[in-house]
Amino acid sequence: MASLELKNVQKTYPNGAIAVRGVDMEIDHGEFIVFVGPSGCGKSTLLRMVAGLEKITEGEILIQDKVVNDVTPADRDVAMVFQNYALYPHMTVRGNMSYGLKNRGFAKDEINKKVEDAAAMLRIGDFLDRQPNQLSGGQRQRVAMGRAIVREPKVFLFDEPLSNLDAKLRVQMRIEIKRLQRRMDVTSIYVTHDQTEAMTLADRLAVINDGRVEQMGAPMELYSNPATLFVASFIGSPQINLLPVKLSGQSLVSGDLSIDGFQDLPADKELVLGLRPDHLSLSADQAGSSNSALKIRVDIVEQHGADNVIYGELIGAGSSMDGEPVEFCVKTGQANIPDIESILDLHFDVADAMVFLKETGSRLK
Amino acid sequence: MRSLLNHLILIAGVLFLASPLYLVLVSSSHGSSTLQQLGLQWLPGDQLTNNYLAVFKLASGFSRQVTVVEMLRNSLIVALGSALLTTLFSLLAAYAFVFVRMHAVRTLFWVSLLTLLFPLEARFVNTFQITATLGLINTHTGIVLPTLALALGTLFFRQNFKGLPAEIQEAAQLDSAGPIKFLIDIVIPMYWRCITVVFVIAFILGWNQYLWPLMISTDDSLYTLVRGIRLMGQESGPGMALLVITLLPPLMLLIMCQRWFAKVLE
Repeated sequence: MASLELKNVQKTYPNGAIAVRGVDMEIDHGEFIVFVGPSGCGKSTLLRMVAGLEKITEGEILIQDKVVNDVTPADRDVAMVFQNYALYPHMTVRGNMSYGLKNRGFAKDEINKKVEDAAAMLRIGDFLDRQPNQLSGGQRQRVAMGRAIVREPKVFLFDEPLSNLDAKLRVQMRIEIKRLQRRMDVTSIYVTHDQTEAMTLADRLAVINDGRVEQMGAPMELYSNPATLFVASFIGSPQINLLPVKLSGQSLVSGDLSIDGFQDLPADKELVLGLRPDHLSLSADQAGSSNSALKIRVDIVEQHGADNVIYGELIGAGSSMDGEPVEFCVKTGQANIPDIESILDLHFDVADAMVFLKETGSRLK
Repeated sequence: MRSLLNHLILIAGVLFLASPLYLVLVSSSHGSSTLQQLGLQWLPGDQLTNNYLAVFKLASGFSRQVTVVEMLRNSLIVALGSALLTTLFSLLAAYAFVFVRMHAVRTLFWVSLLTLLFPLEARFVNTFQITATLGLINTHTGIVLPTLALALGTLFFRQNFKGLPAEIQEAAQLDSAGPIKFLIDIVIPMYWRCITVVFVIAFILGWNQYLWPLMISTDDSLYTLVRGIRLMGQESGPGMALLVITLLPPLMLLIMCQRWFAKVLE
């Protein structure tokens, strides 16, 4: 039984702007789903439609097989964690966490027990009598989650909950959210524009672009097998290397470059070759059947500790998608620190290369 | 140097604004003859007790019913009634203007702002007719009722409410708080300082009313303190004493709430 189901859900604002253009989705009980996409892609609107904070223009949303289109947010049995926490500033932590239960008519003892259990789980038990302005950002975030947890809702909704925290805390809270969700076994939807957050949290993630679900699946499936150019370039850090090319015989051609080993592609269309930075290597023996047509002139070396990321201009290539010189990036071991301006051969396995149709962005290989 | 100059300017301003209060206070310790011959006094005199005793012995008017206690009672009824109801209506109107997201509501807001262009004095005749038709002449209700629509209070509340993050309203929605619960549990506790400020301003406006009570009441028993000053005469010691007594309640209220004024207007 699907815990949450979206059927052709659409959202058009009164001024004619279209935020969501027909989304279909089935989410199983206990699944952790992440909506990821650039800002303004409609992911937050979609989440708010599930919460009932935004009216649905067309289509249906079902929670445990019951259509909830006209059910108020309070009666949908969903809880939401907001980006700015949205804590009631005049209430104590305890007040914030118990307010929803009080309004639902729970007995005092029961409320106290639920609040104290949740507070212990989130390690905010010592702060129950403080007010939100006496707490740090991370603690406020925990209170916001506590307020959602005590309700024991059917669905958890997270709207970019970590974007107001600093980088270190964000990683820490990310792990905690994942642990908590698994422990509580509650169906969850999490909205973010951060692809690392999306990859690490999701059981399945939905890449959303221009009001549509571009692709939905397990994080690694989207990473290694993206359906479109958009998904390929949105998922993965550092970003996938892209080179606009045309087919000539069995080679892909860009400027003076010719890359062999490609078949069954349309000859008269503009294509885009995609190569992940971790599929490129600096020596031939690391890649399988190695193709070594590419060379870069090293521009910048980023040392990340365990590995290095080398950026450089692709030699002999035509222009990039934006009409600039093509820049490629390679992920390599920490021992590789090439000199700036030095020229490196790049090796890759043709099997790892992806080819997209430039016009529509759809994947051909 | 610069800050010294700033302070001097500010001190001069304070002296300028406070001097009438000082003059009234000091003059209330002089006899009527001194005041009539020499005008307001800068230095204390010796008639303080006599003047204030005279005020409390006053029994004026056609039926000798007008006493200070009676006038104080009327002033309090009018000012408190006006302040409480004005604050309540402004609050409710602003709540609707901000949190009820409908087109018609926005139009209504501008209509309510337009009423700023028609102060009570500009519509005396019509207001009098309506009040008379309702049979409210010579009643406290008649004095209070036309003052209740304070567009300025509505505007003040609206501007403050607009600063409330939409997410708080949405969180409350998810917490099963309907519009009334949201008002009572969230908005009022969050904005009680603003509420106090509007209450104090409305109280002072209500307390200082002169022309409208004069028009709408002919009965001696409805005299307020502000109207009563006239009975004591302008250049008399007891008159000055009554003036001081009249000034005290709003002044005390203002001093008590001064901290919140500073916070809200920051």
